[in-house]
Formats: sequence, structure tokens, C-alpha cells
Amino acid sequence: MTGIFLTKIKWLLRNPWTFLLMTVFSIGFAFIVGGFNSFDKIKVPTYVEEKSMQEMDVVQLIEKQGIFVFEWMSYEEMEEKIISGKSEFGLHLYEDDFQIIVGIDSPNINIVEQSVTNAYRKDRQIDQLASGILESKQAILHEITEEPIFKTESTSFYGNDTFVYDSNLHSVYGFTLFFVVYTIAYSVFQILIEKRSGVWDRMILSPIRKWEMYVANFLYSFLIGYSQILAVFLVFRFIIKVDFHGTFLQALLVMIPYVLAIVALSILITGAVRTTQQYNAVIPIVTISMAMIGGAFWPLEIVESKFMLLLSKIVPITYGMEALNGVTLYGYSFEQTLFPISILLLMSVIMTGVGIHLMEKRFIS
Amino acid sequence: MLELMDLSKRYKQFYAVKNMNMYIEKGEIVGLLGPNGAGKSTAISMLSSLIEPTEGDVLFHKKSILKNPSPLRKVIGVVPQEIALYEELTAEENLHFFGRIYRMSGKELRQKIDDVLKLIGLVDRRKDVVKKFSGGMKRRLNIGVALLHNPEFLIMDEPTVGIDPQSRSYILETVKRLNEEKGLTILYTSHYMEEVEYLCDRIYIMDKGNLIAVGTKDDIKEILSAEHTIHVEAELLNNDFIEALQEEPTIKETFVKDETITIIVPKEINVFQLITRLANETKVELKSVNVKTPTLEDVFLHLTGRALRD
Repeated sequence: MTGIFLTKIKWLLRNPWTFLLMTVFSIGFAFIVGGFNSFDKIKVPTYVEEKSMQEMDVVQLIEKQGIFVFEWMSYEEMEEKIISGKSEFGLHLYEDDFQIIVGIDSPNINIVEQSVTNAYRKDRQIDQLASGILESKQAILHEITEEPIFKTESTSFYGNDTFVYDSNLHSVYGFTLFFVVYTIAYSVFQILIEKRSGVWDRMILSPIRKWEMYVANFLYSFLIGYSQILAVFLVFRFIIKVDFHGTFLQALLVMIPYVLAIVALSILITGAVRTTQQYNAVIPIVTISMAMIGGAFWPLEIVESKFMLLLSKIVPITYGMEALNGVTLYGYSFEQTLFPISILLLMSVIMTGVGIHLMEKRFIS
Repeated sequence: MLELMDLSKRYKQFYAVKNMNMYIEKGEIVGLLGPNGAGKSTAISMLSSLIEPTEGDVLFHKKSILKNPSPLRKVIGVVPQEIALYEELTAEENLHFFGRIYRMSGKELRQKIDDVLKLIGLVDRRKDVVKKFSGGMKRRLNIGVALLHNPEFLIMDEPTVGIDPQSRSYILETVKRLNEEKGLTILYTSHYMEEVEYLCDRIYIMDKGNLIAVGTKDDIKEILSAEHTIHVEAELLNNDFIEALQEEPTIKETFVKDETITIIVPKEINVFQLITRLANETKVELKSVNVKTPTLEDVFLHLTGRALRD
């Protein structure tokens, strides 16, 4: 068993490209789609009567929220952009009020309106505070935005229908769970290559036991998949500084049953197909449809089709996402987390069993 | 040592191997000959315990391997038709891996790797990755892996497919030496008639899943003892001449390959007179007419109506 495992590791070190590519893809897609850069933030054409107003406190407050970025321009330029359809709407900021000039109705208008309203409200509160004490308004503003007086920790409770959504984390989780399927599937794919080349037959004829062959392959695929998740999460936690709502370790732990389930699914597919070409055709279809059905690309809460929701119940990604969102966003207790974990473990057992049975049908035991 | 009893493998309605009977004695080299798709590899997979037969049995020392393949597996080495190696690993790493799965380790394994590398002539290339090897070197390493654990019985499935003549002759010499010096029992499958003629004591000929001839080389050639095999070469072959040969009732078989016509006729027929007459009638200028000692290729042609490499 150790021999097979070490040989696979050696093989990986000489062919690390799939692993590296999928890791980079996970990080890249999550980074871009999750809005960790400013490129995909809403750009709002904004007009102020005097240039100095671009330094207003309220502008700083809006920028701190990070929901959209200002695109400063003259009123005429703003009008032109809206009329020509290049922008859906524009923003006219006054000292203590604002106006949204709408060209095309869009859901972004509500987001921007809410953000700007909040900023003006906060600005007024700061004004009122500053007028009552000696400290300058600027100092209070700094304290509120940079160094809050009270460090608060909140515990929330949610009803059954409450939907909490963190778009940044959803992208990190979704793309990690999506791309790791490829890495694992292509590591299990080695079994098919070994079968085709005759290496598998050689192992069968050797004194090595069947369970050792399967355990070595299972262990290898598990480790490569888990290492990828670990690498992606570590990059987001320590380089991009995503705090995982303080549940980084829990998020890593709930990924163990998910990786097991994906290895099992890959073994099932390996047993079901007859050729490497079939495997190569099936994997992208299974992976993409699983990600779409299981809520890796968008939250399942926005899916209305009962049929699609029913389908999601048989997809490991659904339970992987549920476990991650549960521990991170909903503050699941251990008992609550046990539900998606149990389903994933059950899937692992069933799919491994059926997959090995299919693979073994050809051989004399 | 090993017996195949009415062995068949059926895939739905198609028989890959049908009612095959065969035996192999200790220390002999037995050839299994047949064109591509004859069922040789399926037969080998069944007799080496890799796939289960639909009907029949394989006996190793009079005991069925279907219920307990372990005694056979301990003593066989299989050289598959495919290159069953890790191409990204070096020759030495491959041998090390396969040695480990045969429970060898440490000094014993290192010594065995050295011996095998010497035997297959790859000592200088031991540190090179297999994917950089030529076809012949890969084939040699493929054989080396099967020899690591000192098997008593070696099954070789077309071990010389797609390699240069030099590597081919090296492999044939090695196989011969293994049999003569180490007493290795060998089952050698090929569709190269000359390899089987050179190596094997007894030969089984397969076509379309059936055994069509069995015996020693001489036994098999005896099939054509009442007939002459004649090769005819002409300056400009034409269809009239070929048709005339095919329609001539005294000629048993006529085959055309490239510019040569092979005909099989009973020995009592005066063949030269016949061929000359037909050539004159169809205005063909003959270059040569040769009576050949029958080869296994001729036997196969006679039995199946097809050349081995068709």
C-alpha cells in the first residue's frame, strides 16, 4: 500500500499541473467573482458642484462601505452617459442630501440608494455628536471607521426561512468546492489509465491485496483534494484577509466529509465508464451540473424550481455548501452540522461501495 | 502444469474465445499464434486469472484457478501487450515500485533490480524516465518488470509489437536464454510467424476465437504435406491471369499479395506446365515460379484464407 501511495506522490510531483491549475482557478475565480477586487464593483457616475466636495466626510463614509466606486465627472458628462445607456443611473451629491438620476431601472439603484442614505444618516449623527463635545468631528469619524471604541461580538439567531448571504464567502466556498471536484476526479482517473496500460492487472496478479490498492488510491485522492482546499482557504484567510467569521478551522474540518464524498463519486464514475474517453466526457458534465444544482455558483435560496431543489438533495456540493455556510454564517451547533456531514459520509460509503463493485465485476477476486 | 478445459469467453452473442483446449508443460515454450482479434489476449487474460471465463476451467497443477488463483499468481509473470509502466518514472523507479508490490525490499530488491537491468540491457538508462525511451527499450523494461519476482511461468502477449528489428532480436534472444538457462516455462503469443517458428516447441494457432491447428512446428507444416506452395511473380500482373488461376479446378487456393501470387496445389499436379499455359493465354510475362517449403504462414493462409497480418 505504501509503495502505491508513494509512487502516486512521486507521479504528482512530476505532473503537478492539474493540481496547480485547479488551485489557481479556485483562487482566481473566487477573487474576481467574489468582488475582492474593485474592478467588478458598481461604478457610479457622480457629480458634485465643487471639486472640494469630493473630500466630504460623507464621501469617505460611502467609500468605506466598499459597495460601489465613484466615477467623478461633470453633470453634462453624467447625463450623456445615462442617455447613451452606458450607465444605468447617476448620482448627484449635495452637502446634506443626494439625488439619483435614473436612466434604466436596475436592482443596483436600490443598493446604491441604501448605501448613500446610510452614509448621510451616519454623517448627521457624527455632526450631532461633535457639536456636543470638544473633540473634532474628524477624530470621531476616524474612531468610528478605523478604531471602534467597542469591539463587539454578536450572536445571532435565525428563523427557518432566514437567508444570510455573504457574496465574498459564497464565491470562495463555491469555487473551491467546484474546482476540487476536477482535481479529485483526475487523480482517480489514474486508476483508469492504470487499467488501460495494464499496470492495474500487474498489481492484481501481485501479492498485494485489493483493499490495499483501493485504500492507497483513495488516500492519495483524498489528500490531493484536501490539500487544494487547504491551500485556497489559507490564501483567502492569510493573504486576502477574509476572516471566515472566525470559523476558519471549523470550515476546514467540515471539508473532510465533502472531499471523501467527491473521491467516492469519482470512484463510482470510474467504475461506471468503460474508457478514459468516456470519463473525460462525463466529468465536466457532472461537475458543472453538480455545481449549478448544488448552489456553488449562486445561493440555493434564490432557486424557485421545486424540481431543481429536489435534485440538489442528491448532490454532494449542496451538503458541502450547507456545512460551510452553517458553521460560518449561521453559527450551526455541532448537532446541526452533523446533518450535512452525515449525508456526505453516507454518500461516500454508498458510492465507494457501488463504484468498487462495478470495477471488480471484470476480475476474479 | 497448466490446462485449459473447454474455455470460452462470450460477450453478449459474440465469442471472443470458444471451447479452447490447451496444455503447457513445465520448461517448454508454447506459441499462441493468430492475427489481431483472434482472441489471444482474451485467452491469456483468462489463463492468467485476470478475467473469468464464461464456460470451462483453467487447471494449474490439476486444481482450478477460478476458485483459488493464488498458487498460479505466485509463480507467473505477465508481459502485457501494452506498455504497463509509469511513463513519468525512471526505469529504476518502475522496477522499484513493482518490486515493492511483490513484497521485496532493501538489499534483495536492489540486487534484483540490478540483475534485471543487466538482463534487459538498460543499466546505462536506469535513471532515465520511461517516456524518453524508444519503443524497444520500453518493451524490454516491460519484460524486465515481469521477471523481477523470479517467476516460473512467463506469459508474453505480443512482446515485440511495434519495435525495431534490433530490439526485437534482443528480446527473442533473451526469451530463448531465459528458457534454456533458467528453465522458464513460456507462453508466447504473436502474430509474427517467424518469431514463433524460432522460439516455440509447440504451437497453437487461433482465428476468430477458435483453435484451428495444434502441434509441433513439423506437425503443423504436415498439414500442407500433400500440397505444394508456389509463389508466382509476373512482369505485369493482370486480372485475367488471377481469375484464370482462381477458376482452375486443380488449384486449391490462390492468394495475391503485392506483386506475388501464392497458390496451393496437390503435389501430383504438374504445376509449371499449368502456370505457363495460363500465363500464355492471358498474355502475362512470368518472372519466376518458386516451389516453397511450407511455412506456418502458408499453413495459416491455407486454414483461414487470410494472411496473418491482414
